[in-house]
Amino acid sequence: MPSALEQMSSSVRDAPAVLQEIKNRTGCKMIGLFHPVVPEELIRAAGVHPVRLFPYFNELITEGDSYLQTYLCSYLRANWDQILKGKYPYLDGAIIPRSCEAVTFLYQTWKRHNPYQFIDYLNVPWKVSDNAISFFVKELGRVKHDLERFTGKEISEDSLRNAIKVGNRNRELLRKVYNLRKAESPPLSGLEALNVVMSSFVLDKEEHSGLMEELLTELARRTQGPQVDIRLLVSGGCVIDARLWEMIEAGGVSIVADDVNNGSRSFWHSVEETTKDPLEALARGYAKVPCAFNASIGDRFQYVSEMIREYKANGVIFAINKNCESEKLVYPELDKKIKDEVKVPTLNIETDYLVDMAPLRNRVEAFIETLRA
Amino acid sequence: MAEKKRERPAFNRDIAAAMNTHYRDVQTNKPMAYTLMSSNPLIEVAYAAGIQPAFPENYACICAARHASEEYCETAEAYNYAPDVCSYCRNNLGYIYGPGESPPMGGIGDPDLLLLTTSACTHYFKWWDALCEIYAKPLIYVNTPRVMEPQSVPDYYMGYAMREIKGAIADIEKIMGVKITHDRLSQAVKLSGDVIDYWQKLLELQKAVPCPVDLSDLTNALFVLIVLVGTQEGVDLMKKIYDEASQRVAEGKGVLPREEEKHRLVWINIPFWYKLGIFGYFEDRGCVFPFSDYTQYIWGTTRMDASKPLESLARKALGGELNTSVDDQIGKLLKDIKDYHVDGVVAHSNRSCRVLSVGVLDAVKIIREELNIPAVVLDCDHTDERVYSDATIMNGIDAFLEMLG
Repeated sequence: MPSALEQMSSSVRDAPAVLQEIKNRTGCKMIGLFHPVVPEELIRAAGVHPVRLFPYFNELITEGDSYLQTYLCSYLRANWDQILKGKYPYLDGAIIPRSCEAVTFLYQTWKRHNPYQFIDYLNVPWKVSDNAISFFVKELGRVKHDLERFTGKEISEDSLRNAIKVGNRNRELLRKVYNLRKAESPPLSGLEALNVVMSSFVLDKEEHSGLMEELLTELARRTQGPQVDIRLLVSGGCVIDARLWEMIEAGGVSIVADDVNNGSRSFWHSVEETTKDPLEALARGYAKVPCAFNASIGDRFQYVSEMIREYKANGVIFAINKNCESEKLVYPELDKKIKDEVKVPTLNIETDYLVDMAPLRNRVEAFIETLRA
Repeated sequence: MAEKKRERPAFNRDIAAAMNTHYRDVQTNKPMAYTLMSSNPLIEVAYAAGIQPAFPENYACICAARHASEEYCETAEAYNYAPDVCSYCRNNLGYIYGPGESPPMGGIGDPDLLLLTTSACTHYFKWWDALCEIYAKPLIYVNTPRVMEPQSVPDYYMGYAMREIKGAIADIEKIMGVKITHDRLSQAVKLSGDVIDYWQKLLELQKAVPCPVDLSDLTNALFVLIVLVGTQEGVDLMKKIYDEASQRVAEGKGVLPREEEKHRLVWINIPFWYKLGIFGYFEDRGCVFPFSDYTQYIWGTTRMDASKPLESLARKALGGELNTSVDDQIGKLLKDIKDYHVDGVVAHSNRSCRVLSVGVLDAVKIIREELNIPAVVLDCDHTDERVYSDATIMNGIDAFLEMLG
């Protein structure tokens, strides 16, 4: 029997087959999501399987370039390219959140190309004021109604509350796994942690939580983690290329924490279970997800600096995707604050879909040498 | 072919004078707020509050037209703002970090306040957030939802936007120690509405053959529509622009004489501010641009009602091309191409303006299919002159002109 970690890693590696198998086995519909700001609970309460959409790393962008220019985010271009090529046959639609322009563009283009699929747009507010929350509740109510029409089934309050419980348990377990990395010798690497989180975007949440329970037992049995003298935090948008994590962690280096969409930003929040209106609970929980486009630099700094302190990171690597304007506009001031106020050195590397790792390796190695000096 | 010298409408001189006054004001008047241009309801609020608005986006256009942007962009890059960040932002940040000895128009002063709406490009919020860090001044913003289906906007969008504006007004009053009375706000909204009414009438005149006013004249007039909206000066100047254009139509006077106007084109996206002479190149070859999505769909699209100032400002914030969907833009283009008797499309795929560029390839494809007219896509940048390649752009344009015949 493969270990929990192996099962999670293989679900990430073989995501298309795993998702297709889930669909064949359960017969449930599947909806794709971009960014961690869309409340998955709402989708699960509708009996639909949410799938976070990332491109698979085996395909040159060809068809997508006639829709999205090369100066737009290559991850999204690769995503759209693969959608056009039918690489996500299990998908029945998508929910597009208010985020960057390229993601927003997909809303109507998706509708034009996949007219029989479910497609919705969710305006996520960029504030957490009462006005913003009240708006978000109504917006979630509209999407809930759209989902009900799509599935032909009402989303009951009980199913929503249950989905919130399941979501909270999953997030809590993810945080528990992350907490283990505070140790002097972290029992799991950054790459392993990446697979743990990424598998939560593929697998059924309860199944994933079960695997995490097993993982926690397995990790408790790991007597000694690898010797680590450099502890890093990685910050960026979608830092999904496993090769990058592997390359950074070579030789006594561990990524002990992250501030990325496909990492901690996806589960650092929790959703209140006792709030009278579960939609309001979701709105309050998800309005706090700190993505580059909705969180202020001040809030991002607070988030990152707390993490640096708690996880005892002695360096920060900004791994920002080429053409990600929001992350790139945040970076200079956030970087300055980290250096000035937390006194931790940083490195900025630009990533891209199918990027050549060799030049990045040179820069990362040089940075690590300076940290060791 | 040598570029012909043409007589520009006289209103350009008045606009130039108004620009001079504005740029003098933004160096001296206090309190002053950096105010985002795009569909920003807080422009009228600033005027009603007696706060001088200054517009970094407009300043970027001016810097580009005066070929100062290259240096400012380079300065911003030296301060870690990457070259793939919008050149309006880099121009502004570069100007802040290194204005140089003689910045265009004398530059703009330091702000006391930052006033933003989120109904424009997504990353603008980050730009203003960075300004908030740099200047340590309060950032007040109106958060509006993006309207993806303008034909069926949920009712609560309007309520949210109105409460956002109301909240912003309260914050401005508190922070700046000013009182924005209902009467003053109504008056600013009324003046804004008057400017918009003249602007809409001006756009209607552009349907005339020959086309009375050039696209570079219209982009000049945008200064009045955006910067002076909510002021009597703005109303007077826009009336003057309209009157002159109207007179030109009555006299049959066009950018080109009627017999020389061979083709009417639409320009999609923002012009190359450092290369506005490109319109002269087209004119020399019998082509005029009666409209552009940039002049037509972003500002001045909302009729204002002075008796309902908050509602009017909320409509402004929710409306406009920057806050809507690609399909909405394409639908408008298909209609206006017919209404303005347009027979060719020049689309700028603008690497610095994602919000106007993400749908450009789709738009061109659909326009070609549905209207069967030629189109060219030019890959460039509105402000960063380093991106402009004369050989590539002119090749594209010449091939397009050959197709037009």
